[in-house]
Amino acid sequence: MTGLTGAAVADWHRANLRRSAVIVSGAMLLVVSFAVDLATGPAMLPIPAVLRSLAGMAGDPMLDAIVRTLRLPIALMAIVVGAALGISGAVMQTILNNPLASSYTLGISAGAGFGAALAITLGAVLPVPEAWAIPLAAFAFAGIACALVGGVGQMRGATSELLVLAGIACLFMFQALLSLLQFLASPEALQQIVFWLFGSLLRASMMNVAVVAVVLVLLLPVLLGDAWQLTALKLGDDRAQALGVRVSRLRLRAFVVVSLLTGAAVAFVGTIGFIGLVAPHLARMLVGEDQRHMLPASAVFGALLLSVASVTSKLILPGTVFPIGIITALIGVPFFAWLVLSSGRAR
Amino acid sequence: MTSTQMLLNRRALMASCLAAPLLGHSAHAAAPLADALGRPVSLKRPAERIVLGFNYEEFTAIAGPAGWNRVVGFSKTLWSDWRPSVFKRYMKPIPRLAELPDVGTTDDNSFSLEKVLALRPDLVILPEWSFANLSAQIKQMESLGIAVIIIDYNAELPERHVASTRAMGFATASDERAEALINLYTGKLADIRRRVAGVSVKPKVYVELGQGGPSTVGNTYTTSMWGKLIDMVGADNIATGHVAGAWGPLNPEYVLAANPDAIFIAGSSWVSRPAAVVTGFDADISLTRARLAPYAQRQGWPELKAIREGQLFAIEHGLSRALFDYTAAYYIAKQVFPAQFADIDPVAELRRYHETFLPVTFEGCWMARLAPSAA
Repeated sequence: MTGLTGAAVADWHRANLRRSAVIVSGAMLLVVSFAVDLATGPAMLPIPAVLRSLAGMAGDPMLDAIVRTLRLPIALMAIVVGAALGISGAVMQTILNNPLASSYTLGISAGAGFGAALAITLGAVLPVPEAWAIPLAAFAFAGIACALVGGVGQMRGATSELLVLAGIACLFMFQALLSLLQFLASPEALQQIVFWLFGSLLRASMMNVAVVAVVLVLLLPVLLGDAWQLTALKLGDDRAQALGVRVSRLRLRAFVVVSLLTGAAVAFVGTIGFIGLVAPHLARMLVGEDQRHMLPASAVFGALLLSVASVTSKLILPGTVFPIGIITALIGVPFFAWLVLSSGRAR
Repeated sequence: MTSTQMLLNRRALMASCLAAPLLGHSAHAAAPLADALGRPVSLKRPAERIVLGFNYEEFTAIAGPAGWNRVVGFSKTLWSDWRPSVFKRYMKPIPRLAELPDVGTTDDNSFSLEKVLALRPDLVILPEWSFANLSAQIKQMESLGIAVIIIDYNAELPERHVASTRAMGFATASDERAEALINLYTGKLADIRRRVAGVSVKPKVYVELGQGGPSTVGNTYTTSMWGKLIDMVGADNIATGHVAGAWGPLNPEYVLAANPDAIFIAGSSWVSRPAAVVTGFDADISLTRARLAPYAQRQGWPELKAIREGQLFAIEHGLSRALFDYTAAYYIAKQVFPAQFADIDPVAELRRYHETFLPVTFEGCWMARLAPSAA
């Protein structure tokens, strides 16, 4: 009997070790991708020059401007935003018990897009400089979208299906409002709105990166602290409740946290789809449902996916920067189809 | 005289008053320079490494083909893709254009600050329509000691034409050519105003971009480009107040209801636009007319006054935001006020401008009436 338990425990340890190894290798790939991201760009700088500038030994303001104020924030932004989108997608899929849930499908990104478009259209009327007005409005409307969906979730007898439906309604509402704004906007503003919606890391600055990073660092422990309870939620609401999880409070708390996370991420980079959908699926395939591993894995894979997309966006048409939102969707769709089909066969 | 005309007259007066004292100053490097938006620009002139964002023909007219030797990068597609036949012509006198690096453009979100910085420019010249999208990048360039001049010919405000031209002349140390161009331009505007000053009728004019062919309702223009040119010649733009922004398509039904006296379809040498009205260097007048003809057959158009009276024209779109736009203004004015402009030959004006200021030979079809007999 004890032998059997011992074997099970050893198995469990081995599995944990394997899961940790997956996360560590993901992180190592991320470091490589980050380095490549820094080394590539339309200026075609030689790698030693990039290294000298990073070490602060270039003594060339133009080189420093390219490496430190253009490339470095973009490369870092890809990582923090990718991680934020990956982890919020994972939590949403868990709390809504729906593999299609993500900030994109629940209308949170659409809310952010509407907020940004509103700020762009109002432009000079706003008392805040545009560089901050757009992310602030995007964040605020992402919050409103979350509040709408979350509010439905608080209704008596609300199920996770109802929450998903509320999210889809929210998505269509904000898309309609966005279309209205696009119709009313001046051609210049319209162009700006369209490019915002494409999603771009080019707007990154160290200040923006710091904001997203701080949000991520503050909220990550909250989610990881709930990891066990979130895992229990996967057994179904009734069983989780029997295990002592206060399901609706947990769901609300997690929902608020991921909303903040998503809002902060999309506010600065625009609508970047599929990271929040693909990263959690990839993580689940490689490390399983246990949120203690799945959440960090989703963050790492989200960051890795967006970092690779950032590199791809620069290499696809050398000299120009391809909109990254299009890349993530183009890479994401076939990848997602493959993930879904292959896991379907395995069952 | 309408309020718009008075406003324009006042502006021209102001511009010429401002021009006189500045003429003497601009020869000194220490003189403060203002760009089209009135932003102060400090730069060491002549600029040695220029990145040019738009208005390439204006730059060429001001700085001469040799001025391009100091250009290290430009927004290529705005010229090579928007006006391919024009670009091809300029490649001959300016072979450098073929290998000059492309820095992208805000128009398709391809503008790359990294590419600009890597070229180590001392001056970046950008069009006004990029300005709003690039505020952060412009700050960054200026903090690195790169001068940024904003030019604006699209607005079709005479004072911005003058300021843009003067700024580029100053930066390239081509003040004399710049002033000659400014004098020519302001002189022609004054001539147009003088000729239409006594006219009491306001013929109705409709301009449409002929990029998509007759099956597409193309953009029309109100507060910039063609819109301003129509205002300038004292005609009545039917689109004024009926388009949300500075440009956009009109409702086809409204065009029928407005029943314009003259219709101008803006053509060019766009690539992969099989139905577009073709104009420019490589355009043969028979092709221009062949592409223009189906417009007259649009739903309801045969009944329009303009079509019945043979007042349907093609005109090169590039003329709507350029230093030689006065030739387009002459052309529009001549069609709606034939008596006042009887002695004016707009095509000859455009030819003379090319001969005097540009390194390419003028040819092709830039403006034409559909019905050959009436032309």
